[in-house]
Amino acid sequence: MALDFGLAETLIEMGLPPIAVPDPQTWADWVVEPPLPADIVNLGTDREPNLELLAALRPDLIVTTPFLGDITPVLERLAPTRTFSVYAPPPGHLFDRSVTATRELAALVDRESAGEALITRAHMLMEEIRAHIAAVDLTGHSLLIVQFLDARHVRVFGRGSLFGDVLDRCGLRNGWTRPSNYWGFSTVGIEELSQSPTSSLVYLEPIAPDTLATLAASPLWNSLPFVKTGRIYRLPPALMFGMVPSAMRFARQLSRVLGGGPSHG
Amino acid sequence: MGDVAVSMSGSTHPPLRPFGLVLLLGVPALLAGLVNLSMQLPPGQWWHALIQPDATDIAELLVLYSFAPRLVVSLLAGAALGLAGALLQQVLRNPIASPTTLGIEAGANLALGATLVFAPVLIGFGREWVALGGGLLTVTLVLLLSRRSGLAPLVVILAGMVTGLVCAALAALLTLFNSHYLAGLFLWGAGSLSQQDWAVPRELAPRLALMGAAALLLLRPLALLGLEDGAARSLGLSLKVSRFTALAVAVALTGSVVASVGSFGFVGLAAPMLARLGGARRLGTRLLVATLLGAALLCLTDQMVILLSSSSGMLLPTGAVTAMLGGPLLLWMLPRLNLPPHTASGLIAPTAGTGRPFMCLGVLAVVLVIAAVLSASLGPGLEGWSIAAPGDPVWSLRLPRILAAIAGGTLLAVAGGILQRVTGNPLASPEVLGVSAGAAGGLVVALFVFDTIDRSGQTLAAMAGASLALVVILALARASKGSPERVILAGIAIGALLDSLVSILMASGDPRAMRLFNWMTGSTYGIDAASAASSLAAAGLVLAALPLVARWLEILPLGDASARALGISSLRSRSLLLALAAITTALATLLVGPLSFVGLIAPPLARLVGLRRPLPELFGAALLGSVIMAVADFIGRSIAFPWQLPAGLVASAIGAPVFLWLLTRKKT
Repeated sequence: MALDFGLAETLIEMGLPPIAVPDPQTWADWVVEPPLPADIVNLGTDREPNLELLAALRPDLIVTTPFLGDITPVLERLAPTRTFSVYAPPPGHLFDRSVTATRELAALVDRESAGEALITRAHMLMEEIRAHIAAVDLTGHSLLIVQFLDARHVRVFGRGSLFGDVLDRCGLRNGWTRPSNYWGFSTVGIEELSQSPTSSLVYLEPIAPDTLATLAASPLWNSLPFVKTGRIYRLPPALMFGMVPSAMRFARQLSRVLGGGPSHG
Repeated sequence: MGDVAVSMSGSTHPPLRPFGLVLLLGVPALLAGLVNLSMQLPPGQWWHALIQPDATDIAELLVLYSFAPRLVVSLLAGAALGLAGALLQQVLRNPIASPTTLGIEAGANLALGATLVFAPVLIGFGREWVALGGGLLTVTLVLLLSRRSGLAPLVVILAGMVTGLVCAALAALLTLFNSHYLAGLFLWGAGSLSQQDWAVPRELAPRLALMGAAALLLLRPLALLGLEDGAARSLGLSLKVSRFTALAVAVALTGSVVASVGSFGFVGLAAPMLARLGGARRLGTRLLVATLLGAALLCLTDQMVILLSSSSGMLLPTGAVTAMLGGPLLLWMLPRLNLPPHTASGLIAPTAGTGRPFMCLGVLAVVLVIAAVLSASLGPGLEGWSIAAPGDPVWSLRLPRILAAIAGGTLLAVAGGILQRVTGNPLASPEVLGVSAGAAGGLVVALFVFDTIDRSGQTLAAMAGASLALVVILALARASKGSPERVILAGIAIGALLDSLVSILMASGDPRAMRLFNWMTGSTYGIDAASAASSLAAAGLVLAALPLVARWLEILPLGDASARALGISSLRSRSLLLALAAITTALATLLVGPLSFVGLIAPPLARLVGLRRPLPELFGAALLGSVIMAVADFIGRSIAFPWQLPAGLVASAIGAPVFLWLLTRKKT
């Protein structure tokens, strides 16, 4: 049983899907692949997973994060519990941490080979994409990776974020150089994005339905360098607080939209 | 009710003084604006950027489409709120009325949030109509609730605050279940002024002009409203019509600001207050000065926020910062306010109780035990509802939270009872006095300063916060000779400070803030057996200590003279009691969050069932508080299974209407 989507996706990729996760309905909005097992049990919110339900399911193992540190003592009484600190202070390189956590998780569930295979797949994928990026002559190209909060604010993913690490590995450059929090992002107004004039913009779904229309009417938005030159890419969801599988999904999607040429909206 | 006047230490002021105050705030705002502007663009290009912007120069475009409209919006929104506050203060003859203290902002905010979630189509008709509707509904409710008191300032503000808190709690519930779509609502609820074009100023300016004109037309009837009701009526004035019109104008002003940029707590309170303190005596001058001061105040704050954000890289919502500055401002002003004497809400009658207290307490205890056992054995699960016998594993999960809820309810009720007795004010409570907020603030600071903090550390931090809040309140109470109005107002100010702190953290998007939010809503989730047991033991200790202080509680409300005659040092006993209340509140806040109304409603309910002497009243309140919290915990745990609602939030949903009902009763 996994109390975190990042851990859940890693377990699925290692062929050992969890029996329950919090809030599985939102998986399709944020994670998409790998798909969740159809019979997965809903544990409630990710901030307060339902303990009674959790106990009733009698899990062999609970994997959790420091985010739920307060209830770890309770969890430990219900089942063997292990905490993985990928998204925890201090800020660091989240992909590297995910790889380390994947190894530990694989060892814990006796799937070392599956874990190593996943990590190798990830490294190979990044190499492949790096070559592809070089082939379409985009190496060193600078990107801003954002998620829209509303038509005025974005989360922008900085150096060391899961997505930032993917950019580095694929031979791309992260246009956002200011420090981020330990989740790897900063919340800023869209006008701040102008500070990296040579970057293209990549935004991730989900995006609220009226955001794009509002932006289209905004002169400032329309004056941003990447808008004027049409260097905007829309990316299907990939979990920004995920682990290796999310990084791979992000890399695949990114390579697809970059290789296929810029697209609007 | 006498006319409400605010005076500043006696002296008379030359008529230009209020405008001097505008300059005092306006000049630094202008300077800060110029500094910010010159950091973005060299002064030589300013004119060029505004008149003929170079479409390829992003710096010029930023000035034209981001900096300039933001500056204008801050001026317009500030002016609108200043005017709204001044109008409200005049209409209600209440120097502490404002869009914030009457709950109008919170109501408008809730209306927008609810519409966004349940009927997004309605937003298409215009956000400002939704906000206007929400604001009008709230203010109507507040006035209806306080009608019995003859709209006494304190009662109106209390009704407004409580309604505002309920709206905020409901909005919090929406957020708990829709955090993704409402992520923007967080930012906007906290009042972010960032702009990308001129749409908002184009929207706000004509509205402000229209409402300003309406205010001008209302000037004469409004000036008469400042007179005694009788005098105004004898002048043949239709009080109701002009009052209502002015009220609607004020709500419309607030509504358009909330709809376009969000809430800016306290600007609408501070601006007219400053105008009065600056000596603007005539209504026309006061409205004008309040409008100008509002503009200057919000502009100054916003420019400071821009300055700070550009140096720290952190997104600070201006609205939260205004509240953070407004809180201390209100605290500073309190001793300088001249409020009419407190009469309407009635002191706690020091009469002896009738009936049989032991019977009554016994019945309450039985009810509590039944509630606890039912809650522990009943619950929904994978295969629907089921009954678990004692010893079933789920008992070990349910019992700690039930016990924690009971301990929290007990502690809050006792703290509330003590505070009500000591201040002689049936509306005092840890929630209203800001003691809970202080405890929560201490905890918030500790959580963010130290990466990891254990439970005893949390307790210490909460206690430090509660004590600090209490010390501030007591200092103010002394400065104002113990007038309960001021004490309660100080509580509002401290509560607003905490709210703004939390808003800033939430807007930062830090996922830790969501957890904080969970705790703020009063979740009994995840409490382990040891913590629950020690909380219960603490509650037991507090109850055991009550007989020691019962005599003080009986005698203090009789007045200092009687206390002295009976050989009690009122200063020492009062301080000890307040310290007890602070510790109790800190413990309770850790368990059930800062907002539950249990401390407010349990003691009056105990008096209502006939427990009127201090000791039975406090024990009865403790039992009632426990029952309320235990029921709230059960409802929160089972109503939306497997989702859970925080017990504190459920308790406030139960408690707030009860409190409002108590408020509308003539006497408790």
